[in-house]
Amino acid sequence: MKTIKEINQKIETGDAVVLTAAEMTTFVEQNGVEAAAEEIDVVTTGTFGAMCSSGAFLNFGHSDPPIKMNKTYLNNVEAYSGLAAVDAYIGATQLNRNPQIGMDYGGSHLIEDLIRGKEIDLAVEAYGTDCYPRKEIETTITLDKLNQAVMMNPRNCYQNYAVATNSTEETLYTYMGTLLPHFGNVSYSSAGQLSPLLNDPYFETIGMGTRIFLCGGEGYVISEGTQHSTGAERRNGVPISGSGTLMLMGDMKKMSSDFVRGATMQKYGPTLYVGAGIPIPVLNEDIARRTAISDEDIVCQVVDYGVPRRSRPVIRETNYKELKTGKIEINGVEVNASPLSSYKKAEEIADELKAWITKGNFFLTEPVRKVPSEGYTVNPLEIKKPSTLVKNLESKPVIRAYPTEGISDVAKKLVDNNINHLPVVDESGKLRGIVTSWDIANAIAKGKTKLNDVMTKRVIIAREDEPVDLVARRIDKHEISGLPIVDKDNKVKGMITAEDISRLIGKEKNNNEVCE
Amino acid sequence: MKAWLKFSPDITNKSIISDTIKSYDIDFNILRANITPKGGKLLVEISGNQVDESIGYMESQGISVDPIKKVVRKEEEKCVDCGACVSLCPVKAISVSDDWTILVDDQLCIGCAFCTSSCPMKAIKITE
Repeated sequence: MKTIKEINQKIETGDAVVLTAAEMTTFVEQNGVEAAAEEIDVVTTGTFGAMCSSGAFLNFGHSDPPIKMNKTYLNNVEAYSGLAAVDAYIGATQLNRNPQIGMDYGGSHLIEDLIRGKEIDLAVEAYGTDCYPRKEIETTITLDKLNQAVMMNPRNCYQNYAVATNSTEETLYTYMGTLLPHFGNVSYSSAGQLSPLLNDPYFETIGMGTRIFLCGGEGYVISEGTQHSTGAERRNGVPISGSGTLMLMGDMKKMSSDFVRGATMQKYGPTLYVGAGIPIPVLNEDIARRTAISDEDIVCQVVDYGVPRRSRPVIRETNYKELKTGKIEINGVEVNASPLSSYKKAEEIADELKAWITKGNFFLTEPVRKVPSEGYTVNPLEIKKPSTLVKNLESKPVIRAYPTEGISDVAKKLVDNNINHLPVVDESGKLRGIVTSWDIANAIAKGKTKLNDVMTKRVIIAREDEPVDLVARRIDKHEISGLPIVDKDNKVKGMITAEDISRLIGKEKNNNEVCE
Repeated sequence: MKAWLKFSPDITNKSIISDTIKSYDIDFNILRANITPKGGKLLVEISGNQVDESIGYMESQGISVDPIKKVVRKEEEKCVDCGACVSLCPVKAISVSDDWTILVDDQLCIGCAFCTSSCPMKAIKITE
């Protein structure tokens, strides 16, 4: 049994024994838990990954004449300034207001550039008051000219996380990176055995006021993070899914771009790669045992991101040892696995923090209040008005075409019914293709006579029990104007078009106005 | 070696490639192909004992052969060695070393550019 005070005295005299979490795993394997608890004082952890829920409070100082900042842009990225006159919060995932740049330079890139000491364009709009008469500012700033620049991240260091894969026929672009079709790859994001909250899974040492390594400087744990949850199933003492989170803060003026980077997930948006390392005091054998956890003992779930709903299906379980081989098996097929967070940087962070402590430059703190280890669940957002399902849409009786039909007959069906899309079905009513009035015009131009030769055979479809919002996104993504509704036997039940959806939205708006 | 082979329209109907493969016993892997009425372009990888001789023959038959020096490059300053690119590479040109550094092999790269667009740091550049 040791106390944090005793450990700090050893740090002061240069006698503290510090290991990284990876080194601790090996030490305990070789020497046992008892010796580890006796000999090791601190275990350092590290992680370097995409943490979207990050940002910074900035204070610009007052201009003359002064301004009450209403709209604030830094290198064309908006910072929220609905605070006192010259305070703003820049969020990591904020897009650039120039649509040509958009995702390529957002809040996270701005944060990195500030830390790099670059000159940043500041543009401000205001409405003007008696005390703050100025209405606009255009100037440049640098980090050292700001009064305060405090990184304040509501949710970092997820204890564990889902491993992403994609069962669908198309490539998906997600916050977990690019996911290839037909389980083409898996993407995981955890430092595994080096990860802070996997080394203190019951939050016995981490809490409000814990001093940490944050992006190359000293930071602090403010409290548990948003969406902190304690109910997840545990295996070998650690949760197998998301679970615990931390809210962190640190002085940006002390940070280094070696340990914080702006990034863009393709077709998803900007995110910030945050480097965090937490020291864990080895106060007793239980803590020693938990910091010795290995990649193999940390179980995680492979989840299908092809299902765009809140609850995504779990495909299988795996662990970080298996993932780090670069291959895992899904449905009997070997699939390439790659990390989204940098294990190399995580090691650098754990090493750096170890060096700080060993050299007597960093002392441990007693948390004011520990991160709660029970009683926290994550509530979903319930939408009062349930989302409209495809089957609830009013639709006209469905008109069908058959592959053997002649072009002129199909043209007549389109004109007679005043429609632009026709699903093509076989004798049993199963979907075989789709044909539009454009396809018919094209067929006539090229002298084709059989429907089978001009219809689209790879059809984007809608299911009866899907929310209309998902179908609207599909129409948008594939740049189509309508799609057939099919049941689980692939039989055509109807058609849904972009016009149906805009009519629905129009109707919802009207209803709301009546209610008001 | 990797090279772009360019054909003019007057030779597109000759069996020069298969003659070359037979005569010089080379391995000939087509990585990309683009054939239009105005001629054709093939990105190929050629290996074997008579690579130089085979190139000489193809050139004598009217194919222009442009060897590719370097295809893919990782910008060390930008790369954080996360590894997001590794599982996206169709030809295993990107690998992870023992110390978790991401290695990009320009010999294996076919220039599909899947990694360049997916890299969160935009740290991989393809140049020809």
